[in-house]
Amino acid sequence: MTDLFLSGPGAEGLLRGLAVNSFANFPVDRAKQFIAVNHSGQLIGDAILAHLDEQSFNLVGHPMAIDWVQYHAETGGHDIEVSRDGNSIVRAGDPRLFRYELQGPTALALVEKLTGAPVPQLGFFHMGHLPIAGLQVRAIRHGMAGQPGYELFGPWVEGERVRDALLQAGGEFGLTQVGAKGYSTANLESGWVPSPVPAVFTDERLRGYREWLPASAAGSLGGSFDSADIEDYFLTPYELGYGRSVAFDHDFVGREALEALSRTPSRRKVTLVWNPDDVQDVMGSLLRPGLPAKYIDMPKARYALFQVDRVLHGGVTVGQSFDCGYIANEHSFVSLAAVDGLEDGAEVTVLWGEEPNSAKLQVEPHRQVPIRATVVPAPFVQYARESYRATH
Amino acid sequence: MAPKSLQDVLDAAGSTVELLRNSQLGTYIYPVVPAEFTNWRREQRAWRETAVLYDQSHHMVNFFVKGPDALKLFSDTGINSFANFPVNTAKQFVPTASNGGVIGDGILFHLEEQEFVYVGRAPAANWLQFHAETGGYDVECTYDDRSPSRPYGQAVSRKYYRFQIQGPSAWQIIEKLNGGTLEQVKFFHMGHLGIAGEQVRTLRHGMAGAPGLEIWGPYEQHGKIRDAVLEAGAEFGLEPCGSRAYSSNTLESGWIPSPLPAIYSSDAERAYREWLPATSYEAVNALAGSFVSGNIEDYYLTPWELGYGSFVKFDHDFIGRDALQKVDPAAQRKKVTLAWNDEDLATIWASFLDRDKPGYQFFDVPNANYGSSNYDSVIDADGTGVGLSLFTGVTANERRGLSLATVDPNVEIGTEVRVVWGEPDGGSRKTTVEPHEQISVRAVVSPAPYAVTARTEYHGGWRTAAAGAR
Repeated sequence: MTDLFLSGPGAEGLLRGLAVNSFANFPVDRAKQFIAVNHSGQLIGDAILAHLDEQSFNLVGHPMAIDWVQYHAETGGHDIEVSRDGNSIVRAGDPRLFRYELQGPTALALVEKLTGAPVPQLGFFHMGHLPIAGLQVRAIRHGMAGQPGYELFGPWVEGERVRDALLQAGGEFGLTQVGAKGYSTANLESGWVPSPVPAVFTDERLRGYREWLPASAAGSLGGSFDSADIEDYFLTPYELGYGRSVAFDHDFVGREALEALSRTPSRRKVTLVWNPDDVQDVMGSLLRPGLPAKYIDMPKARYALFQVDRVLHGGVTVGQSFDCGYIANEHSFVSLAAVDGLEDGAEVTVLWGEEPNSAKLQVEPHRQVPIRATVVPAPFVQYARESYRATH
Repeated sequence: MAPKSLQDVLDAAGSTVELLRNSQLGTYIYPVVPAEFTNWRREQRAWRETAVLYDQSHHMVNFFVKGPDALKLFSDTGINSFANFPVNTAKQFVPTASNGGVIGDGILFHLEEQEFVYVGRAPAANWLQFHAETGGYDVECTYDDRSPSRPYGQAVSRKYYRFQIQGPSAWQIIEKLNGGTLEQVKFFHMGHLGIAGEQVRTLRHGMAGAPGLEIWGPYEQHGKIRDAVLEAGAEFGLEPCGSRAYSSNTLESGWIPSPLPAIYSSDAERAYREWLPATSYEAVNALAGSFVSGNIEDYYLTPWELGYGSFVKFDHDFIGRDALQKVDPAAQRKKVTLAWNDEDLATIWASFLDRDKPGYQFFDVPNANYGSSNYDSVIDADGTGVGLSLFTGVTANERRGLSLATVDPNVEIGTEVRVVWGEPDGGSRKTTVEPHEQISVRAVVSPAPYAVTARTEYHGGWRTAAAGAR
């Protein structure tokens, strides 16, 4: 992920002016999911914002929201110092911070054992310090869909020491290291859409921003949704389930547009459970004569930074499907989607594969196929725990 | 006391088979090289239709041997003849244990007078190092270990970069790099080539009948040489091949990379087991698959079972010679490819989406192996074991699941057999295994190499079962 560090008297004001979120109760040692929109209320991106110290903030995530904030800080900010630590794709040398997520049902017990003390009573997205391996490690109380856990971060040089201590203490709690493949599917359970198309490509008011952005920021678009108008790919915060984060208690870019949007019905974020037989057909097409369907990689089948597949109901487009992949915990292949007025349990069709095939390197010659899917809530993991297992 | 040697580890474990079947090593990794440069289907297609650049710089051990007794070391340990092995040639070197079981195999390069390098998996390199150090040979050795499986962002360095340019368009690319026609020296003969202002050493290689080259040089030049080759090859459709597709190329070419070294049981190898560290490949490697025997010797393979019968030459003395002389080649199992039934493989994949059952052992693509050495039972219609399936995956070129196997001599090409996929009793404790059920997969016994062109045109040794001494 990319880190942006902002400090100085103007930092909070700048962030507030770009965030749909309220800053009314955001003291030091709090974090939040920062969400930015354009002047029309369309999503630019989201990232985790941590209030590190007086007048000092850290924004972590995909570059889309971070670029937008950095641009405003550099071109219109006052009394702000900004520094950026790009992700390991672009950075030369070590990262500035280590960052671990300690998650799962035994995470709190593990922390108690490790620190030799009851876990601090921290609310969700509240921050504190945990004594680990002789260090005071900064922790954000986090949780993946109801499971308690912590995000731990600190200077890069301390990372290995912290990791070793966690792994050593974690043995009896079944602590398992998660590799990049497994990691990439955690959001499918928790319901977070990682990289919506940023709504920055058209508005004349954003021309200056587009000129500031490097060419590499364009990203890649994949999937069956095939409108020639890039604006058809833009999303509002409401479509991705961020309505609760929108607060009109302050001025921010896009406020007026969102006030209007808040009064109109919106698509809602759901999980689509893909039909096992149809998924099997796609996987099996690799072994059968004729042009295969678009390859489904396990466990994550998304094949572009911005994955957008068309969702149909009764032959009519009713939404877009985004990130998709396999959840071993539920033996299910799912995607996260935004759909029009469909109840849970509704049957839809996801079009899988590009028609015509794009020229992206990760796309092999294939044919587009329909995949049946069932609408269920997001986050899937809570739904699965409470009702899915009982009924299936 | 913490075990220091392989022998200590075996003594503490009791059962060697159970120790290796429950190894916590994880999957056998082809390290450092990116998993995919484009996508593995496209990269597989490129070696069949245009050309690929394989990066072999990281997954093999280089074992350098220099000195007056260097050739003797190899001659004393290899089944191969060394009667005709001049400088600038190479051969597929196969050592056996005293019991005649294969330890491993790799490419042996004769670099200069009295100077050699063995390149391959660890077991044969370890075996050579042991004999070099304890056998009174007048040699100097350097062990350049494979790159770490999980470097986790740490810097990695090797002595050599090592690439192969392979595929139907490979020679055109090589001639362009050379700036003119290049004499196609014989298979496994070495030469030089100028690339990006550097003199690069070459080994004439080939794939599926098309000539290709292996090239190597100082690791510091890795990026420069790679860039130059990719640039020259672009107009011929040269594609870099990632580690994910790379390991599956052998399904088409028919080489079995992963026999279990036959060193765990015989008294003659006790000194070796006491010499091998408790952290060695032999002590930590993961044994996977449906074939389970309480006797570790049931996992040993003779040269004939791996298709190396034609390499066995009794024109010299070597470890294992006595045992191999007692072997009746006609009674040995033979190497084949098994072409897996499409629907049965699709059934395995479908089980991952079945919420009512534990499902079958995960079958990753294109490489489905889940241990360092993979031993699946091959059974006939009566359920009788008729062979072992040893390396499994999928090729997008053939649109099939394939495995390399060794089967009883009376099992004819075209016969339908079954491969038992998955481990008994819900599976071992390996980190690559989740609770699962076994499934019998139909498969048709087919030639190895599976690619028809390779069978007739690939030069050298086992690939044509020619009587050559390689």
